[in-house]
Amino acid sequence: MKGLHIYGVSHSYGDNQVLRNVGLLVPAGELVCLLGPSGCGKSTLLRLAAGLEPLQQGSVIINDVEVANKDLFVPPERRRIGLMFQDYALFPHLKVIDNVTFGLVGMDKKQAHERAMDMLDQVGMGHHIDKHPHMLSGGQQQRVALARALAPGPELLLLDEPFSGLDTSMRARIREQTLDVLKRAGVATLMVTHDPEEAMFMADRIKVMGEQGRILQAGRPHEIFYHPKHEFVARLFGIMNSVDGVVIDGHVTTPFGSVSAGAINDGDEVTVLVRPEGIHLTDDQTPGVSVEVQSMHLLGHDSLMRVRMTEGPGNAGEFHVRVHNEFDPALIYPIHAHIDPEYAFVFPLGGGPIFDEPDVLDDGAAGENLSINQDTAAE
Amino acid sequence: MNTVALSSATAPAPVRTRLSWLNVWTIGALIVGAIVALPIITVIVIAFTPGDDIWSHLASTVLPVYISTTLTLMIGVGVGTIVIGVGTAWLAAMCRFPGKRLFEWALLLPLAMPAYVIAYVYTDILDYAGPVQTVLREIFGWTTRHEYWFPEIRSTGGAVAMMTLVLYPYVYILSRAAFLEQSVGVLEASRILGRGPWRSFFSVALPLARPAIVVGVSLALMETLNDFGTVDFFAVSTFTLGIYDVWLNMNNVAGAAQLAGVLLVFVISLIVIERLGRRRQKFHNVGGTYKALPGYTLTGWRRVFAIVACVLPVGMGFVLPALVLISNSITYFDAALDSKFYQYALNSVLLSSLAALLAVLVGIFLAYALRLKGGRFLKILVRFSSLGYAVPGSVLAVGVLVSLGKFDNSLDAFMRHSFGLSTGLLLSGTVAAVTFGYLVRFLALSFGSVEAALEKITPNMDGAARSLGHGPWRTLGRVHLPLIRASVLTAAILVFVDCMKELPLTVILRPFNFHTLATFVHQYASDEQFGEASLAALAIVGFGIIPVIALSFAITRSRPGSNGQEGTQ
Repeated sequence: MKGLHIYGVSHSYGDNQVLRNVGLLVPAGELVCLLGPSGCGKSTLLRLAAGLEPLQQGSVIINDVEVANKDLFVPPERRRIGLMFQDYALFPHLKVIDNVTFGLVGMDKKQAHERAMDMLDQVGMGHHIDKHPHMLSGGQQQRVALARALAPGPELLLLDEPFSGLDTSMRARIREQTLDVLKRAGVATLMVTHDPEEAMFMADRIKVMGEQGRILQAGRPHEIFYHPKHEFVARLFGIMNSVDGVVIDGHVTTPFGSVSAGAINDGDEVTVLVRPEGIHLTDDQTPGVSVEVQSMHLLGHDSLMRVRMTEGPGNAGEFHVRVHNEFDPALIYPIHAHIDPEYAFVFPLGGGPIFDEPDVLDDGAAGENLSINQDTAAE
Repeated sequence: MNTVALSSATAPAPVRTRLSWLNVWTIGALIVGAIVALPIITVIVIAFTPGDDIWSHLASTVLPVYISTTLTLMIGVGVGTIVIGVGTAWLAAMCRFPGKRLFEWALLLPLAMPAYVIAYVYTDILDYAGPVQTVLREIFGWTTRHEYWFPEIRSTGGAVAMMTLVLYPYVYILSRAAFLEQSVGVLEASRILGRGPWRSFFSVALPLARPAIVVGVSLALMETLNDFGTVDFFAVSTFTLGIYDVWLNMNNVAGAAQLAGVLLVFVISLIVIERLGRRRQKFHNVGGTYKALPGYTLTGWRRVFAIVACVLPVGMGFVLPALVLISNSITYFDAALDSKFYQYALNSVLLSSLAALLAVLVGIFLAYALRLKGGRFLKILVRFSSLGYAVPGSVLAVGVLVSLGKFDNSLDAFMRHSFGLSTGLLLSGTVAAVTFGYLVRFLALSFGSVEAALEKITPNMDGAARSLGHGPWRTLGRVHLPLIRASVLTAAILVFVDCMKELPLTVILRPFNFHTLATFVHQYASDEQFGEASLAALAIVGFGIIPVIALSFAITRSRPGSNGQEGTQ
């Protein structure tokens, strides 16, 4: 199949194993985000795919051609990949145009120039071709790096934290432009990031990576956000309210109301995670619990509020609640909090996944194929 | 569209096997590293091979003298360079007095003077027949040597003085940088806590700069061990002289190699001290950025003292000898030009250029090979082969001599056996041997600067070039070389100048009757004809100034507040 296919990859630096039996699939034309905390091995996986690091175990296949296994190593210059680094790695001694034509090996000069100009125009840098990289802003450098990576028409594009060097004000805009350019190029793209918001924005599909490269969950951004299969995945998107409980009759009781425990057996101890937007404040007393407001912080479009239970079963803890910025707690009294089940997730106590995930061995190949099939069926 | 056409343009990617380490880089680096390490390994092997009679003979006669003289010399030069180097560094870094900006770089000038040149000059001046004693005799009416006391320049003390005068810049430059790097806050805190400038210096600044000082002194002592010209001229029996003596006058290579082995013990301890110093230096770097130091403004007698303290080393280590050389050169100009000056100068320049070129090429090759694939064994081998800078020229010379001799003999035997041809001594006693010796001794310089320059280039640059379809060679040519050009040029100049000055290796390895400027100066000075050789000595000093100029530019740039680091000054 077209795209990038990695399976059974393990990798160690000395005694430190950073990847253990990892599998990954990037279908042609899709943008896949590898999302994980720093040190989870996601960059290593990218470097292995690029051929910057010799593969110790497993296999890397690009467009049906095996480029690396433990007896085989195709050097990066023969893999026809595009690669973009966090620091862009523009050649400081070359002008913008020469940076972009750098990869057009074997093309005649005029043709290469045209191709480079075309790419630079696409990223909106067509009028900076005679500048040197140090004369450009971070955002401009990023766009040149993108043009340079795409110019040779790679079969696979690898992006390593492509936006983390930009300041926040610029990031959103550049992200949007980059996405446009990538969609137009239609190239299979693997992007590594530690920023969940960025992954949600860019990705057709997100793979959340935990320790030693274990893929905790793979799916569309929607699934990752609304149906996290792992406590770690649920916690990716900011503050969570956490309540411990026990499953009784398929449900867990929290101070704010009862939540379905899904496939978890009765009598099991569980943790219920509720997003701050999953707790609604009303004056409707029936399902919830009475709370008082401790503090309120305006964040812009919404506000984050800290509330404390005034009564209730045992744990009179504090909770975070997200409300619209025009919400005024003074207008409702007494305030009652109750749960929105869509934003509440139940996990077995101790951090394991809710569903019995397939063994790590199948995590890559079998599990991946399954989810792909489902996706294609849906499209 | 375009994209599709492009990606199908190239043939399917060919595939290489796992034995990818079997490439020109790794294998080449292993071979080159082994060849360069060979002389040092040879000396070590011989030193640990059970010796013949000569060894016990040496041990009972000259060895104690060699050891005590060498130790005396090292202690003397060590103390001398610390006092002058640290003292002037403190003045130049922390105090304000007239001429400070001039002294900051002028204090480096003695670095351009080879110790043997300054030794010849001072002997010329201070000898019984020299101008100083002549004037003294005229003033006081003395007529013979026995009527007055005058220090004998041709002595261990004299050698200490000569070497201290030209080697203190090593300590000066490193401790000055260390003082500048110390956070001002630390010193100010010390002042506020009630310690005066002197006590702050001894209790805060000096301990913080200690690692840098240690590195500087160990470099100076390595040069001390390397020196041949001075000790030969002054007849001070150090190891280096002993090696030369045993080899040339007693015609005993094994004995020379065994002496060299003992000398290596001194060297290895210096290397260890230096490495430890460098490691701690990193640890001690308190503040990263240079800040404009407040500086103590000196007044009254302190100001006079500071100026004198800076004038003396520069004057005695550079200005006075340079003036003497110039005046001698003018006096003996015709005689000097007669004496094959051009031939020797050409020899020096050609040989040094060749060595510089080789050192830079090998340095780039090794450093890049390490960058591509830094296997542990290769790393150790490369480190080992760049130990040459610490190993005295005489020791290396013995190593080169023995290993080339072995090579020549086995080649000769092989050729005679297989083809009935005798190649004789193909390399021994040729210019190739000298060049090889230079390469072994100065590879560390070029390798070090290339490696440091490459380290500043992010590995992502390599990754970008490789992913854009360029192999290792083309990446080196199109990305790395243009980026490290300046460092490569600097390295080449440094190696070139060091080769121009080099004496002990050249004296032992050169072909019969072959002279460089350095050996020419040495021979004429030994024959008490220094006047005729002054022009050649002046030429060596002239070349020696080139790196000093480069260094002084670096000094000016590191001056607090300059080059926009502090913006507003």
